[in-house]
Amino acid sequence: MKLIDALAVIRRPLPKDAPLLRVSLACGFTPLHLQTFLAAALRERPPLERIEVTTGLFGDLAGNIENIQPAACDVLVAIIEWQDLDLRLGVRNLGGWRVAQLPDIVKSARRMLVRLEKAILTAAASLPTYISLPTLPLPPLFTTPSQQASACELELRQAVSSFAASLATQSRLRILSASHLDEISPPSNRFDLQSELSAGFPYGLSHASAVAELLASLIRNSSAKKGLITDLDDTLWSGILGENGVDGISWHLDQKAPIHGLYQQFLASLASAGILTAVASKNDTALVQQAFERDDLLIDKQSLYPIDVHWGPKSESVRRILKTWNVAADSVVFIDDSPMELAEVKAVFPDMECLVFPKTDYQAFWQLLRRLRDTFGKTIVSEEDSIRLESIRAAAALHNSSNGEGTSPDSFLQDVQANVTISFGKEKEDHRAFELVNKTNQFNLNGKRLTESSWMAYLNDPATFVMTVSYDDKYGALGKIAVLLGRMQGKAAAIDSWVMSCRAFSRRIEHQCLSWLFENFSLQEITFAYQPTDRNKPLQDFLASMTTTPLSSDVRVSRADFSEKCPPLFHQAKATVNA
Amino acid sequence: MHNPEHKQNLEHRLVRCFSSVFPDLDEEQIRSASIESVPGWHSLASVTLISVVQEEFGVQVSLTDLPNLVSFSAVQNYVRHHIAS
Repeated sequence: MKLIDALAVIRRPLPKDAPLLRVSLACGFTPLHLQTFLAAALRERPPLERIEVTTGLFGDLAGNIENIQPAACDVLVAIIEWQDLDLRLGVRNLGGWRVAQLPDIVKSARRMLVRLEKAILTAAASLPTYISLPTLPLPPLFTTPSQQASACELELRQAVSSFAASLATQSRLRILSASHLDEISPPSNRFDLQSELSAGFPYGLSHASAVAELLASLIRNSSAKKGLITDLDDTLWSGILGENGVDGISWHLDQKAPIHGLYQQFLASLASAGILTAVASKNDTALVQQAFERDDLLIDKQSLYPIDVHWGPKSESVRRILKTWNVAADSVVFIDDSPMELAEVKAVFPDMECLVFPKTDYQAFWQLLRRLRDTFGKTIVSEEDSIRLESIRAAAALHNSSNGEGTSPDSFLQDVQANVTISFGKEKEDHRAFELVNKTNQFNLNGKRLTESSWMAYLNDPATFVMTVSYDDKYGALGKIAVLLGRMQGKAAAIDSWVMSCRAFSRRIEHQCLSWLFENFSLQEITFAYQPTDRNKPLQDFLASMTTTPLSSDVRVSRADFSEKCPPLFHQAKATVNA
Repeated sequence: MHNPEHKQNLEHRLVRCFSSVFPDLDEEQIRSASIESVPGWHSLASVTLISVVQEEFGVQVSLTDLPNLVSFSAVQNYVRHHIAS
C-alpha cells in the first residue's frame, strides 16, 4: 500500500456504531508512517472497526511495554529494532563502534532482551501480543567484511533467536515471520538513513507498509479451512491405478515422481494437525483398497476419511464427504489434476476452493504446498485436533448404530456409555474454547465471533463465566465440544454465547448442559442472547423445543419448562467448578 | 516538463498529495497553501507530506532542501525541477 492510499483508508467514514479496536504500538523509534500503515491495514481487513493506534515515548521500547495499561488497549504490537537493544546498534547515538566496545554491545543487548522478555510476558498475560523482531540490517560496526559474518553479529542474532523461540511457546504471543517478511520486503531496501536521521523513523515506506500488512494479518488472523479432499491418480500418486496397477503407481524420487511423495507427506502433516483429509476418486474400489495396503505410502490410510471411490461425478463424492464431516463447502479445499473434474465440483460447490495439482510443474507444486500451509495454518495444535478424525468416525459409527431397526433413541443412548465432563471456570490458555466460539456455525446461539482481545476481555470480566464441555462414549472421545459463555444473575443465568460442535449432535449433550446449570446453581430460569443466522437451524430447533413461546432475541427457558420438555439423559456427568 | 499537459498532470497529482495530508482543504485552497496559511501544517504534517510526494513522484528530497518546501508552489517547483533533471 502506498502512503497516500493508507491516509485515504484511515479517513474513510465508518458507521457510528462501529466497534473500536485499540492498538498499543510500542516501538523505540518515531512510529510515524508505521502507525498510519498499521491503522490502514487493519481497516482493510474485516471486521469493520474504528482503529485507534496509540504509541509511547521515543527511545524507550522496554518502558513503553512495561507501562502498558491492559484496560486501555485491546492489542499490543511491539516493534523491536537493533537500536532498542543497545543504542550503539543505531545511528542516532554516537556511542562508539570500536573493537573493544563490541563485547559490551552484545552483553547489554542480552540484558535488554531479558528485560523485554519479562515486560512482554507480563503484557501478554492480559493482552494479545504481536512481536516484530529486528528487521533492519545491522550497521557496519563489525570488523569483518560484509560478506563474512562476525562472531559478535552471530552472537547478537543468536540472542534474539533464543528470545523469540522462548516467547513463541506462549499461546497469546505471535511473532512476525522474518522469512515471510524477507519475501515481501527486500532487506536491502528497508533502511532509510535520511528519514532516521531527520525524523527518527528508520523504515523506508515500502518496508513500513510490508511490516504493517503482516502485523495486520496476524492480528486479524482469518480462520483456517477445515478439510482437504484429494484425488488419487496423478495426484496422491503418479500414474493411473486402473492402467498401471497397484505396483505401477509411484511417488518416489527414483521413480521420477517425488512431488507425489512430498504431497503425501504434506497431507500426513495436515492430518496430524487435525485437518480433515479425504479422497474423492473415480476408480475401482478394490484396486484402491489394494493400493492403500502398500506399506511405502507416506500417508496412513487411517488419516484419510472418508475414501469415496466410484465412477460417478466427483461432486457426488464431495457431497457425501461434506455430509460425513458436517462442514460447509467454503471450509474445504478440493485438489485434482484434472481441470475438468475441478470445474465439475466447482459448478456444484461454488464456495469451495478448487485447486489444480500441477503434476509436471515443480515450481507451481511448491507454491501449492505453501498456499495450502497458509490456508490450513493454525497457531496451536490442540488435543482435540489429534482426535478430530477419530471422533468423526465415531459419529458415523454412532449414526449407523442408531439407525438399526428396532432400536429406540433412548435405548441406543443408554447403551453408548456416555460421559460428559463439564468444566466451569476460566482458563486463559484454553485456546480450544476460543476456537470453538469462532468456528462453530450450526449449533451457535447468535453467530457472534470474538476477537482475541474481546475473548480476553470476557475472561477478565469478573461477572462472566465460561463453561466448557467434553464428551466421550464407547465409540471414542470427541474431546472438548461445547462452550457456554454467560453471567449468573441471582437465580437466573444469562447465556451470551453457546456453541457446540456438529460432531456432538444427537447425543443430548445440549440438554445435559442446561440440566447441569439448573441443578448445580439451583436456577429458576436461563435466558439466551439468541439471534437467528443463516446456519444455526440446529440451535433454533433445540431452543424452540424447550420453550412455549416463539423465539425472539431474548429467549427464556424456565426450570419448569425444561423439566417438562427435557428427554431422559443417560450421560455420566462429571464437573469441575473453579472460582 | 514544459509540455502543458505534463504540467497539468503533475499539478493534479500534487493536489492529490496535499489533499491526503490536509483533507479539509479544497483544491483552490491547496493551490495557494503555505505553512503560514494552513493551521495544520506542523512538523509531522510536513514529514508526511514530503514522504507522500517522494513516493508519488519518485524523487528524494534532501535534508537541505526540506526547510524550503513550505508552500504548494515551492513543492511544485521542486518536483518539476527534479523530475526534469
